[in-house]
Amino acid sequence: MATVSDRVRRARPLLGTFVEIEVAGAARSEMDAAINSAFEAVAAVHRLMSFHEPESDISRLNQEAWLRPVRVHTWTFQVLEAAVAMHRRSKGIFDIAVAPALQTVGLLPRLSGDSPDVTEVRTLDAIELLPGQAVRFRHPAVRIDVGGIAKGFAVDRALQALRGFGVASGLVNAGGDLAVFGQEPQTIHIRHPSDPRRLICNIEVTDEALASTARRFDLFQSAASTGSAIIDPHTRKPAHTIDGATVRASSCMVADALTKTVMIAGTDAIELLEHCNASALLISTDGDVQITPDWHHAVYLAA
Amino acid sequence: MMTRWVRYTLPAAAIMSIASPAYAMQYLSIDEAQKQAFPSATRFTEVQAGRVWKAEAGGRVAGFFIFDRVVGKHLYIDYAVALTPNGAVHSVEILQYRESYGGEIRSPSWLAQFVGKTSGSSLKINSDIRNIAGATLSSTHVTEGVQRVLAAYGNRLR
Repeated sequence: MATVSDRVRRARPLLGTFVEIEVAGAARSEMDAAINSAFEAVAAVHRLMSFHEPESDISRLNQEAWLRPVRVHTWTFQVLEAAVAMHRRSKGIFDIAVAPALQTVGLLPRLSGDSPDVTEVRTLDAIELLPGQAVRFRHPAVRIDVGGIAKGFAVDRALQALRGFGVASGLVNAGGDLAVFGQEPQTIHIRHPSDPRRLICNIEVTDEALASTARRFDLFQSAASTGSAIIDPHTRKPAHTIDGATVRASSCMVADALTKTVMIAGTDAIELLEHCNASALLISTDGDVQITPDWHHAVYLAA
Repeated sequence: MMTRWVRYTLPAAAIMSIASPAYAMQYLSIDEAQKQAFPSATRFTEVQAGRVWKAEAGGRVAGFFIFDRVVGKHLYIDYAVALTPNGAVHSVEILQYRESYGGEIRSPSWLAQFVGKTSGSSLKINSDIRNIAGATLSSTHVTEGVQRVLAAYGNRLR
């Protein structure tokens, strides 16, 4: 039985946010080793999949995959396969090729050689996944950003690393994308998307993942929410109808990708959620909270 | 087959608030973070009071440990940078993290209550809240802080 004293929680700045890792129920040295190994996994995902790191797989793809097939790490290939599957399953709503639109609104930097006004829709049909973990782009203007799925994947890899040690329970939280394992349920507080001082609800999670997204706000600049970092691939504009979304799934990668889809599709995403065995909570711009019917037992709203 | 969403309309007043406009998390003490960064070290010598330590293992320099703090508009973060003997970043660890929306974060008295091992803080922090989701916090200020630490100490410590 875990007590406060046999619990360790640490945090590091990774993936552009703060990654918290907690384990319990083992000797201190075992818990430290588990956390170090989990941070290593997150750091590896960061190195492989950052849009900003010039040596990352994603940067190499964006620079060279139009010219020749580029071989990538197994993890990068897994993320791209999942992204392509989610793109098809969401009828094009989930799209890792929206980087040019994010560049246009200033959320991603331009690379040398990028056209200043890329407005055409680039779908994942422009990305070919080849045998031997190689990737080729079918169009020179394709720019991918896996920011909408790689954070969840990193959480999954970190949790898997923790499971390899003799710890009774674990939690990995990468700025709102989190996953837990262990017998005891963990309580997660969901912030109000437009007022971080307030909490909308508590959610209990056990052996599963939870990903949340909100219209972007920056605690350093303003407590008010500003434009969204979610781009609707059909309009190429930031999404607006939903203020915040939280998705539960067995994998954090799937939960992470689904939050982006739900922010754009709203309640229409229910079939996709069902297909992925996922649940969701939406916070609409008008303040209404909507929850998929399979999940309201685990969500404790303010009375 | 699920078909319908369950809709709740919450009056604004009913939305549960954090008991105080502050949220805090203590991760590691300076001692713990030093051992974490340099597990083989047998000695930590204070080079600059409360800020820079030299880690030694069996008479050899294992690296340097630098404590720093970044203060944003709402966030206040203690962190530590471990440098290799050559002045490269070995690891960055968050020691303490606080958010406050009362506007008091820049006041010296508010900051003072977290210096050292001061207990009995007058600030009410809801310790029941351990896991928060719903918005991604940017780590930009810490990343910038690490750059400043590198610029200040990367080539100077030997």
